Amino acid sequence: MSEPLLVLDDVTKNYGAIQALKGISFSIGRGEVVALLGDNGAGKSTLVKIISGGLEPTSGRMLFEGKEFLARSPSEAKDAGIETVYQDLSLCTNVDVVANFFMGREITRKVLGVPVLDERAMEGVVAKALADAGTRIPSLRANVEHLSGGQRQAIELNRFVHWGGKLVLLDEPFAALGVEQTRRGLDMIRKVASQGIGVVIITHIMQQAFQVADRIVVIRQGVVAGDVATSQTSPDAVINMITGETLAGAGAASVAR
Amino acid sequence: MNPRTRRALEFVLDHLVWFMLLFVLVVFSLFIPHYFQLGIFANIIEASSVLGVMSIGLALVIIAGHMDLSVESVAALSAMAVGILFCSAGIGIGLDIQPAWLMVPISLLIAIIVGGLIGLSNGYFIVKMKMDAFIITLASYIWVRGLVLAISGGRSAQDLAPAIRWFGIQRLLGLPLTAWIAIACFVAFSLLMAKTPFGRHLVMIGGNETATFRAGIHVKRNLIIAFMLAGAIAGLAGWLLTIRTSGATANLGIGLLFNAFAAVVIGGVSLKGGVGALPGVYAGVLLLSAINTAINLMGLPANYTQVIHGLLVLAAVLLDSFKQTLRLKLA
Repeated sequence: MSEPLLVLDDVTKNYGAIQALKGISFSIGRGEVVALLGDNGAGKSTLVKIISGGLEPTSGRMLFEGKEFLARSPSEAKDAGIETVYQDLSLCTNVDVVANFFMGREITRKVLGVPVLDERAMEGVVAKALADAGTRIPSLRANVEHLSGGQRQAIELNRFVHWGGKLVLLDEPFAALGVEQTRRGLDMIRKVASQGIGVVIITHIMQQAFQVADRIVVIRQGVVAGDVATSQTSPDAVINMITGETLAGAGAASVAR
Repeated sequence: MNPRTRRALEFVLDHLVWFMLLFVLVVFSLFIPHYFQLGIFANIIEASSVLGVMSIGLALVIIAGHMDLSVESVAALSAMAVGILFCSAGIGIGLDIQPAWLMVPISLLIAIIVGGLIGLSNGYFIVKMKMDAFIITLASYIWVRGLVLAISGGRSAQDLAPAIRWFGIQRLLGLPLTAWIAIACFVAFSLLMAKTPFGRHLVMIGGNETATFRAGIHVKRNLIIAFMLAGAIAGLAGWLLTIRTSGATANLGIGLLFNAFAAVVIGGVSLKGGVGALPGVYAGVLLLSAINTAINLMGLPANYTQVIHGLLVLAAVLLDSFKQTLRLKLA
C-alpha cells in the first residue's frame, strides 16, 4: 500500500475525568474497507465523530492525505472529502427526497444575482443516482416522512455513494435494512471502495464485517485491541479480541498494558 | 383510491387555509348585507397589512424551529423611534429633512435597523449562548415594551410629517400603498423561503437541526439571520403602524402578537417547526381580517372578536392534527 489516506496517531478523548479514547492509532488506505468492531461503549462512535468533525480530540494528531488534519466542524470535514453516515439517520423528514439528497449542496442558478434552487437539475441527478443504485422510491417529491425505514436508509446510502469524496465513515448503516437491502448495501460499499475511496464501517454484525472488510480493527476500552487483515483471522478470534479474553492475532497493535 | 383523487386531496390539504378563506368570504357575502363589495374587500386587505408584515417574521423563526414573542414590542419601539423623530406634536421633535421625500427612506431605514438590532440580540442569546427562545424573546417582549414606555414617558407623538403620511393616503388600484408593501413583502419572502438555498435550509433546520449541522449547513449563522430578519420585519410593521395612526403611542400595537400567532397557526405553520409556507400565512391573516370585518358589519360588539379568534386558533390546531392523520392514511 502506498501512502495511507488517513492516519490516526495516538488520538485521545476525555469527557471530564472519563477517558473515552486512551490513544487510538491506525490507518486507512485508499480503496480499503476497514471494519471497526468493538463492544458497546468501546469508543467507536466517539472516534467516528472525531474524524468527521463532530468532536475535537483531547490530544493526538491525524494525517489526511499526508497532511496534518483536524476538522472543527462537519462542514470542514466535508470540504476535505470525508462523508459520514450516522447511526441515527441524518435526514430531514419534513422535506422531499431531492432536498435531502442535496442538503447543504444545492444546485443553484443566478436570477438577478440571487441564487435560486434549480429543482429540475437536482431532480435529474437524484433520479439517475437512485436508478444506478437500483433503489426504487415511489416519488422523489414525496416528503421523507412518508417513506419506510428501509427507503430512508437507502436514500442516505445512495447519498454518500453519489458524493463519494475520499473517505466514507459509516456508523452502523444497516440497522434498519432487510436482508436483500443489506446485501445491496454491502455491494455498494465494495463499489465505492473500488473507486479508490477509503471506507470505515462500524458494525455489530460479525458476518457483515467479514463479508465486506479488507481489514478489521477492534477497539476495546478506548484502545486498539486488534488490527488484522480479514483473510488472516476468524470470527472467533475477533470475538476474543472484542471481549478481551485473549489477544491472539492482535498483530502489530500497540496495546499499552 | 386512484392517484388523481389522491393528488387532488393532497392539494386541498396543502392549501386548506385558502379554501377556508374562500368559504368564509362566500358565506359572509351571501348572508351579511353589504359585505359583497370591492370596498369591503379592499378594506380587508388594508386592515391586515400591519399584522401581515409582522406575521412573516414570526413565521420565519417558527418554521426554523424557534419562536419570537418580541415582534409586537419591537414593532412598537420602531414605531416610537419614527414617531419621536418625525412627528411635530406631542413628544415628537419634528425632524425636518430636505428634500422632504428623503424622510421616507430614512424613517424606514431607522425602523428596520432598530428592529434588526433587537433581532440580532435575540439571535445571539438563543443561538450562540444556547438559551431557550421562549424565555429570551419573552424577556425582549417585556423590556422592549418597557423601553417604549420609558423613552415616551407614557405620552404620545402626533402629526407625522406629511411626506411620510403620504404613504398612508396614496392609493394604487384601489389599495393604499401600505397594503401593497405588505403584499410585496409576502411575495418576496415567499420566494425567499421556497426558491433559495437559505429558505430551504431554514425549513430543514426546523425539521432536523442535527442532520443539517452534520450536512455542513451553517446552522448558527442561518438562525441568527432568521432572528434578525424577524426583528427587521417587525420594525417595518412598526413603520406601517406609525403611518396608519399618523403618530405613535406608548401602547401601540398591544395584542398584535397573539393575532400574529393565530394567523401563523391558522396559515398551516406547525409550532413544532419545519412545516408551513408563507402564502398560507397571508391567507390566515386575511381570514382573521375578513372575520373582523364581518363582525363590524353585523354590528356585533367588538368584544366577541377575541372569542372568535381564540376558537379559530383552536380549530386550526385541531385541523392540523386531523390533516396529519389524513395524510398518514394517504401515504
